[in-house]
Amino acid sequence: MNKKLNLYFDNAATSWPKPEAVYGAAERQMREACGNPGRSGHTRTLEADRLIYRTREAIGRLFNIPDPARVVFAYNATDALNIVIKGFLEKGDHVLYTAMDHNSVLRPLGRLRRDQLITTTIIPCSFQGFPDLEYLESAYQPNTRLLVINHASNVTGTIAPLKEMIDSAHKRGVKVLVDTAQTAGVLPIDVQNDHIDFLAFTGHKGLLGPTGTGGLYVSPGNDLKPLREGGTGSQSELDIHPESMPERLEAGTMNSAGLAGLLEGINFIFDVGIKEIQESELKLRKYLYAKLQSMKSLTLYGPSDSNQAVAVISFSIENTDCGEIGYILESSYGILCRTGLHCAPLAHQAMGTFPEGTVRLSPGFFTREEDIDHLVHAINEIIRFTTG
Amino acid sequence: MVSSCYITFPTTFFAIRAESVLKNQPYSFKMVPVPRSISSSCGTALRCSCDDISALKNILLQNDLELEGFYRLEESGLKTPVATTLDLDH
Repeated sequence: MNKKLNLYFDNAATSWPKPEAVYGAAERQMREACGNPGRSGHTRTLEADRLIYRTREAIGRLFNIPDPARVVFAYNATDALNIVIKGFLEKGDHVLYTAMDHNSVLRPLGRLRRDQLITTTIIPCSFQGFPDLEYLESAYQPNTRLLVINHASNVTGTIAPLKEMIDSAHKRGVKVLVDTAQTAGVLPIDVQNDHIDFLAFTGHKGLLGPTGTGGLYVSPGNDLKPLREGGTGSQSELDIHPESMPERLEAGTMNSAGLAGLLEGINFIFDVGIKEIQESELKLRKYLYAKLQSMKSLTLYGPSDSNQAVAVISFSIENTDCGEIGYILESSYGILCRTGLHCAPLAHQAMGTFPEGTVRLSPGFFTREEDIDHLVHAINEIIRFTTG
Repeated sequence: MVSSCYITFPTTFFAIRAESVLKNQPYSFKMVPVPRSISSSCGTALRCSCDDISALKNILLQNDLELEGFYRLEESGLKTPVATTLDLDH
């Protein structure tokens, strides 16, 4: 066991540590309340049902969703994005998305495009990761039905101008799908005030829950074709999957242990306050960005104004392989980060870092300033070593 | 002979939502497995006093719940009880 393995800068991949209650709730759900939700009528089943309902309500409260029936659980944001993309789009549709989008958007859209079901247009992004809004205005076609918005980039942290983009789409009757993988639990999100049609979230990043949890919000009047059908514990005599939400989009045994943990992650966010979390992460990003900015031979990507980003920073060092930097950070300093393309190849093309990629640092709510000091010291030593 | 009344639901979501909506209301009720003499889409039903079933139904409908059926069960010892469908609109 490497004793140095304690500085975690990979919260954009999955948050760590989780609040203590998250671990306990997942374990308790398996040990003491493990019934199959929706199936039998006994008390453990009911307990599991109640837990899932409370988690739906908590998601509803977090995103200001008035009706918990519109909250659907899925494995993660990728799963939720697939459910919307493949359940909403029809043959002949045109879709807009941005260069900052993740493979979880690029690939399902790519499949539909290759199958000649849809056409797509990519909205280019600036070096700092902001979508070209003028280009967006000119990109709509008569058959455009969906605009996918990457709320914040997992490469640069860049926050998209959500309101402007949604207004632009809605003016033309185009629905919006917002990917909140990097923002749920970190930025305030209000589906009613922001007029969001579809929202995909993951449970294991900013919401501080276990992996394998996530889901989506589907606004009223936008019923999706289900991607999967099967057991729900209701209407069992029919070979037709229930049409009413949320069961319409959920099939098979739910991840009740994961959702028990997720509920505690969300409760932690309510206890601390989303504004406080946002400010704390902003402070960490500013602190880290300022330290890195002063280093020679190091190139920073993403917004220099931390108010326009979540706590994600990408950098590269002149003539140095980013994978090598990641390896040295872990093996010599016990610092964990992510290197490479971060599943967002178009973002790297926009920044000019394709195919080499970048080193990505993503502090989280539990990161301390002294952790950043250790990290900065390590990067300084690596620069001294590699640039002689 | 004792009788109790039941509300059934199209899905589990609405059964649990009903429990949540009614928990602060001055009525006693219990979520129970659906008795075999009742046909229901969802395995969990709400059991309540037959004096209260109309009031509970109204509260649930005001909260946009989807409900499936309303029943009265006459219980007589261990024999299978007889279920009667209730028409609460009249």
